Amino acid sequence: MTASHEIENRLRATAEKLLREKKVDLFLGYEKASLPFRTTPLLLTAAEEAGRLVWNSFCTVNLAVYLPRLFKAPADAREAKSATPPPKVGIVLKGCDARSVVALIQERQVPRENLVLVGIGCPGVVDAQKAEKTLGEHEALGAGEDAQGSIRAVVEDGTEITLYRQEVLADACLECRSPMPAICDLVLGGPVEAKETDAARRRAAEFESKPPDARWARFQEMISKCIRCNACRQACPMCYCKECLLDQTRPRLIGAGTDISDVTIYHLARALHTAGRCTECGACVRACPMGIDTRLLTRKLSLEAEDLYGYRAGQSADAIPLLSAFAMDDPQDFLTEPSHLPAASSSAQEAEQARRAK
Amino acid sequence: MARNPYLPYPARIEEVIVENEAGDIKTFRLVFEDPQSAKEFRYVPGQFAELSLPGMGEAPFGIASSPTEADYLLFSVKRVGLFTTELHSVEPGVRIGIRGPMGRPFPWDRMAGKNLLIIGGGFAFTTLRSAIKYILDPANRSGFGSVLVIYGARTPGEFMYKKELEQWRARDDIAVHLTVDHPDEGWTQHKGVVTTVLEGLKPSAENSLALVCGPPVMIRFALQSLNKLGFADDAIILSLEMRMKCGIGKCGRCNIGSKYVCKDGPVFTREELKALPSEY
Amino acid sequence: MTEKRISHTDLPRLLARLRERGPVHAPLEDETGDAVLTELSSDDLISLRYRNFRLSPKSFLLPQNQVLFRFQDGKEEEPALPDREMVVFGVRPCDAKAMQALDKVFLDGDQNDPYYARAREKTVVIALACTRPLSSCFCTSVGGGPGDGAGADVLALELDADLLLRALTPGGERLLSSVRDLLCDAAPSAVKEAEDRVRAAEEQIAPVKVDGSAQRLSNAYDSPLWASVSQKCLGCGTCSFLCPTCHCFDITDEVRGGTGRRVRTWDCCAYPLFTLHGSGHNPRPTPKERWRQRIMHKFRYAIENFGRPFCVGCGRCIRSCPVGMDIRTVLKEIGV
Repeated sequence: MTASHEIENRLRATAEKLLREKKVDLFLGYEKASLPFRTTPLLLTAAEEAGRLVWNSFCTVNLAVYLPRLFKAPADAREAKSATPPPKVGIVLKGCDARSVVALIQERQVPRENLVLVGIGCPGVVDAQKAEKTLGEHEALGAGEDAQGSIRAVVEDGTEITLYRQEVLADACLECRSPMPAICDLVLGGPVEAKETDAARRRAAEFESKPPDARWARFQEMISKCIRCNACRQACPMCYCKECLLDQTRPRLIGAGTDISDVTIYHLARALHTAGRCTECGACVRACPMGIDTRLLTRKLSLEAEDLYGYRAGQSADAIPLLSAFAMDDPQDFLTEPSHLPAASSSAQEAEQARRAK
Repeated sequence: MARNPYLPYPARIEEVIVENEAGDIKTFRLVFEDPQSAKEFRYVPGQFAELSLPGMGEAPFGIASSPTEADYLLFSVKRVGLFTTELHSVEPGVRIGIRGPMGRPFPWDRMAGKNLLIIGGGFAFTTLRSAIKYILDPANRSGFGSVLVIYGARTPGEFMYKKELEQWRARDDIAVHLTVDHPDEGWTQHKGVVTTVLEGLKPSAENSLALVCGPPVMIRFALQSLNKLGFADDAIILSLEMRMKCGIGKCGRCNIGSKYVCKDGPVFTREELKALPSEY
Repeated sequence: MTEKRISHTDLPRLLARLRERGPVHAPLEDETGDAVLTELSSDDLISLRYRNFRLSPKSFLLPQNQVLFRFQDGKEEEPALPDREMVVFGVRPCDAKAMQALDKVFLDGDQNDPYYARAREKTVVIALACTRPLSSCFCTSVGGGPGDGAGADVLALELDADLLLRALTPGGERLLSSVRDLLCDAAPSAVKEAEDRVRAAEEQIAPVKVDGSAQRLSNAYDSPLWASVSQKCLGCGTCSFLCPTCHCFDITDEVRGGTGRRVRTWDCCAYPLFTLHGSGHNPRPTPKERWRQRIMHKFRYAIENFGRPFCVGCGRCIRSCPVGMDIRTVLKEIGV
């Protein structure tokens, strides 16, 4: 039995018990989808259906995205009178997803006491678009993984093609530093260690090595494909505003079309609004129907939050969210001398973290 | 070549009249800039138009004037949002765009020869004014039976078209009953909700049609009373309020069931509405 | 109906000839290897290896954003409408059929949409029949097929060395006639082979039960299943934006100082704000009502109004949904 099968069985047993003992009203997990390389979220309420739950490398969706709507506060006193009490929710979480939940707790969007957090040490998930691309002319009709973690796809003529994990893992997973869920009630599977802890930094540095004009041109080229569908925003657990600033009409900040200036503001604004809150889960990238790498900016902003303030989103439920706190000695050179960002060396980071910990 | 239905007819605001005491309902008298536009804009009471202010967008409003009022159009606008606030702030002389006429009007072919019961509440009296002016026009009046109007508002100051109401009350070819929730000193007419007055007057349902326009809660109770009085569902005519954009059945916003409120409505019989999903 | 043929090696010459009379859009591979309908310039090499494009070609008729008119100092000015004919080559039969569906809305004969009408009039569609459907395709269950040319002016069918070209409309006849010196007659055996390939493709497509959907859905309006099938929906809009028959739009004014324009942009009934009234009342407040509207509109109301579902089985919504929702599964669960 592969490791992921064992975890799957434990997951099913856990969910079944939680539901049967009414410790949760609802259990959020994954089940088989109709297309290969994917699973689909399952909002389970019946203990006897726990067998539908699966755990594998296709469990990509960040389930934290469903939590804000489950705990939406009543709009007014009248609604509050007839509102049902908030549910108790169990939820399956990979490392990045768990940090999203913690970030939501930090921002008071979900109550910790109503959650049962079932963490799973995550070896990374497959990006379906990447996998399909790798198959070229073939179409996978089914896919699974073997004991070594390679992905086996059965294509239309019946042959089996092996896809190597490194080729088809989501970009965010290739850069992952937190595969183990930080804050959980129980953990299934693991420990999993982060492999390439410098990958995000190298990726950002590679882009930054281009001169500014070239960076801007590349950025504009990437987002010129954007059709303003808002999938990136809707898939992000941290974008839970009832009405997005960029949709508002009073005042109207941007048009709804694909003028490059409107598209640019949309992406810049979204990146800035997730600065210090993004957990690099990659849901935005996977949601984008046009294949835009929406993490280009957020990756850099996450690194800056870390380098400047020693802060990573979703590490601690008690931490004050980064941009909600201010200390008198916060670095602020970037305001007056934007080209003089502190060196991204590990000693600088350590010094900053030590300073913050005081 | 057919006219571009997205392009408004240019018009000018000739007069602005404050209708109610609270001051948040104003009637605008509009005149087309081009007489040709007036010829093309042939409308029937019950229809609506989209008023357009370039830069502010558009909004749909029932046409309050009757086609028998030849040289102008009247629209009554309540100040509730972005567009209406802007409209309320403009002075006479300002240019405004009109798209239309749009929608299915009151069913005048069915209304011919019938006794008419007209029930209105609050701000929803706009297209009813159009209907009543049209009915009372000397060329038309004999084509209808008796006309009974019941109009309710919260306070006397909230009635629209006060001058017309007074004129109509003085006539003998139409019965007008006004009722308020909160009378002031000197109020001599009815007190109470529209349905109380309706059930007190007990109009006959025989050879009659009822037009009902008002806030949802008034409509709900009025419908119950009308059923009790023997009005069948296809004898009750309503006008639906709905979020709209294009007004010509293309953009999908006002779609309910297989109908578009802008094209197949906004006037529906109760029977037709019952067949639609209640997503309005 | 003329049945003609051109070799694959000669196809670039045909496209070059068409480019002399107006823009030609054909499948080119972008930097990630995806086929995209792109305006051809001289050296471009087209590729016919794609299954279908990410974006549907509906944007040729109903662009994501379109200027309705400009205004300056309170006076409106209509934009110039295209007056050159444009050729779009390589549209799959499902997407061509979708154009027929859109015609029913925008060219309803009552108030024709002038922008759509002009685009439709000036666009010549050359459809390319499918030989390798995807497992997410189900065109045959919604009145279409891999070799169905409805909605197109010319249908092209692939053989090993050649492309068969079949004119379907007077516009298609005119187009093929204008390049007749480049074309040969197709032999009956070639025609038969092309049709065999279409049939083979049809057999690969798994059927989905859609017949009678209008009736079944009218009985299912209050089904509690709507709440469960829609729970996962994020309201992200991907399905509507990629769908070749979805056409809901918003109209807004964009201003700078005294000038501006009124534009229409794609909108989506799955967005929470779509039916929000100014008063704050929202008749479709949760994903349940919005998903029900989506299915009802496509598989019941459209049939009541236009005699056909507003779905062509292209499968884009299935492949691109970030949470793996599958419209076929939803139809099955609701009992269609």
